[in-house]
Amino acid sequence: MEPIIKVERLAYSYPKRELVLYDVSFEVQKGEVLGIIGPNGAGKSTLCKSLNGLVPHFYGGKYGGRVVVAGMEVLKHTVAELSTKVGIVFQDPEEQMSGLALTVWEEVAFGLMMLGFPKEEIIRRVEEAIKQVGLEGFEKRSPFELSGGQQQRLAIATVLAVKPEVLVLDEPTAQLDPIGKFEVFSVIKRLAEEGSTIVVVEHEIEELATFADNILLLDQGRIKAYGPARDVLTQVEKLKSLGVDPPSVTELTYYLNKELGTSLEVPITLDEAIKIYSEAIGVS
Amino acid sequence: MADPIIKVVNLWYQYPDSDFWALRGVNLEIQRGELIALIGQNGGGKSTLAKNLNGLYKPTKGRVLVEGLDTKQVPTHEIVKRVGYVFQNPSHQIFESKVWDEVAYGPKNFGLDEEEIKERVEWALSLVGLQGYEDTHPYDLDYGKMKLLTVASVLAMKPDVLVLDEPTTGQDHKGRWILAELSKKLNREGFTIVTITHDMRYVAEVAKRTILIANGQILMDGPTRKVLTDIETLRKAAIKPPQVVQLAHALRDKGVEIDALTVREALEQFKKILKK
Amino acid sequence: MSAGISLLKRTAVEADTIFQRLDGRVKFLYFIWATVIVYIFYDPYLTLAFLVVTLAMAAYAKVLKPIAMTLLIIIVPWIALGVLILSLPFGFPWNKTVIGYINILGWRLPVYLEGLGWGITWPLRISVAISSALFFYLTTNQAKLVATLFKMKVPFKAIYMIIATFQFIPLLFDEANTIIQAQISRGLRTDVGVLQRIKNYLAVVIPLTISALNKVQTRAITLESRGFSAPVKKTFLYEAKLGVADWIFLGLMAAATVFLAWVYVTIGYSPIAHLEWIWA
Repeated sequence: MEPIIKVERLAYSYPKRELVLYDVSFEVQKGEVLGIIGPNGAGKSTLCKSLNGLVPHFYGGKYGGRVVVAGMEVLKHTVAELSTKVGIVFQDPEEQMSGLALTVWEEVAFGLMMLGFPKEEIIRRVEEAIKQVGLEGFEKRSPFELSGGQQQRLAIATVLAVKPEVLVLDEPTAQLDPIGKFEVFSVIKRLAEEGSTIVVVEHEIEELATFADNILLLDQGRIKAYGPARDVLTQVEKLKSLGVDPPSVTELTYYLNKELGTSLEVPITLDEAIKIYSEAIGVS
Repeated sequence: MADPIIKVVNLWYQYPDSDFWALRGVNLEIQRGELIALIGQNGGGKSTLAKNLNGLYKPTKGRVLVEGLDTKQVPTHEIVKRVGYVFQNPSHQIFESKVWDEVAYGPKNFGLDEEEIKERVEWALSLVGLQGYEDTHPYDLDYGKMKLLTVASVLAMKPDVLVLDEPTTGQDHKGRWILAELSKKLNREGFTIVTITHDMRYVAEVAKRTILIANGQILMDGPTRKVLTDIETLRKAAIKPPQVVQLAHALRDKGVEIDALTVREALEQFKKILKK
Repeated sequence: MSAGISLLKRTAVEADTIFQRLDGRVKFLYFIWATVIVYIFYDPYLTLAFLVVTLAMAAYAKVLKPIAMTLLIIIVPWIALGVLILSLPFGFPWNKTVIGYINILGWRLPVYLEGLGWGITWPLRISVAISSALFFYLTTNQAKLVATLFKMKVPFKAIYMIIATFQFIPLLFDEANTIIQAQISRGLRTDVGVLQRIKNYLAVVIPLTISALNKVQTRAITLESRGFSAPVKKTFLYEAKLGVADWIFLGLMAAATVFLAWVYVTIGYSPIAHLEWIWA
């Protein structure tokens, strides 16, 4: 199966700056959820933007390697063309409002209007996208009076309406309160279950661990670890040496094994931990 | 017992041009030297309460006493000398072209002489670990260091109380850790600290006392251990305690004797439990 | 919902009167037409009549308050100051006809007709221009506005830039507020002298400008990522069409034009006040 995203030896530097990505290579299959983690400044945002063409077309700079998304080579297509295949959601909910829509409905329709979809198609897709993110009833509200979590879900809806092949989310919950984070993660998890291909950058590793298939650890522009979520997240010492905290239960069990000499299976989620520890202690 | 450094008596607050009560009858006493976390969903009143503590907002009803001074009677610029407020977004305050000047802005506003200003700037910069960056342009710093710069610029005013508004939002884990250590260090040096945050793991590792505010009222106020393990009340406020606390809670339901707030504590307790 | 209402109040309960339903192009034409007419005629009474008609329409359309407030802030001080300076002997070069005297601070000063006329007519002309422009803007649904401008062959990107700017002014106000709070928390005081006030402005304006520039860039990134630059025919959800009310309004304007042309030819450019054009 041809991967839906193929990144080959990607290297990039913004104009007049140092290299921010060095020799990055990875693949994403259709229906896969890839989580990207790493300290600030690692190049995670740049990597996201290289998937929809903002890097290099919007920023300029120096570019090396190859990125192919849904059959389109990023270097050879415009951001507008790529926007039909890759939908991207950023950190700051307010910054993603187009500023041209007075209602939630119009905001979701915006991308479709820009791409020249026929009117009936727009009406149908907007309704569908709004339902997918759970914003029914909000159609006539102003985007600016929504809560952070609602705004981010709105941003996701605007992207879903275009029905891209890949959904890229760059720290979508960083600016949100606990309820907002919960709302957004719920939507992402539901989309993942429905088979969407998702690339998500997050610092909320404990949440990420519950739905990511694979994880890419990026530090200073290089891949430091890449593989199934369990394989990467259990490399506790490597993560900590790069300033990344693994899930609490993972860290706990790793050090427990180390200091006690036990060989408990190392969990990456709370549910796994409850099961493992219940067994170890001998309770039901 | 000494007088509390901040005393909030039946505070009700309404924004101008609004019918909505953002704070409804808040009562609170903060002693000198406390390290407090203020948690709750957005819109629940955390920032509103915090801004009533430094004189930015004045009570609509009720009183706020800072070191004995009534914030309604005393001009704001006198209160901000005593309660420093570090805003969430560094770019909302940085405007000078050198780190040194940025930190000097606060003391300059107080009309201090050059010697005093120089001393304070150096002291503040070394406290946060930014010595050596005096001539750097603030926007050449990475986000984590910019955050430290904003803390230094407030420290230079030598307030007794420090309010940090969501210091870890937008930061990576290392940045969070640096701020946690800094908060603890400042607290040891005598600063009273109030941190507004959504990060429960941060709360568990840093705060001695936690206040949960929702719908303009204080829902819980007590030692962090007590607040973060009260899963039922937290659930009503739609807040999840740290993962370790959730694990301990689930195991306690099955009869295991365990009570842990942080990874470290859990580690020690499990070591004992599993040795048997 | 109209673009202008969103500027002034984020969510307004929008009125739906006959004026909101008029086509945007007709209201835009009214703005141009009214402004030109009051420029051709040099007559404060006529200009005032146009202003009254415009404000009456605005009142019916329930958008009078923002227009009145704008006029109050801009025009009233202008008239007050202008009339005082121009009609009294402060050097307005065309003053020659004295129409009366007034006492100010023990001085007896002549009041000149030319200065008075100029001082009243000009601000009134601007008032007509401003109120008719705001009338158009505040009663035209944003999406219809976009479709209207597009039909008028305004470049698509320009339309969006203008409208987006208006959406962000309230956001910048909010930011300015936060910035002011942050600086007050660092000791910024408002009870200070001129030099310090300049420094105060910098402490607010610099972060605000940086923030605004950032917003512009992130907005551009968002729009690009949503196909803004796609070279296809954009879909607009509203059709700009002229209805019965539009034709009636246009008819009234046409009739008024004919009448005013007749007045100009027979009576002159100052039919009621009989002022002389300054440069005659």
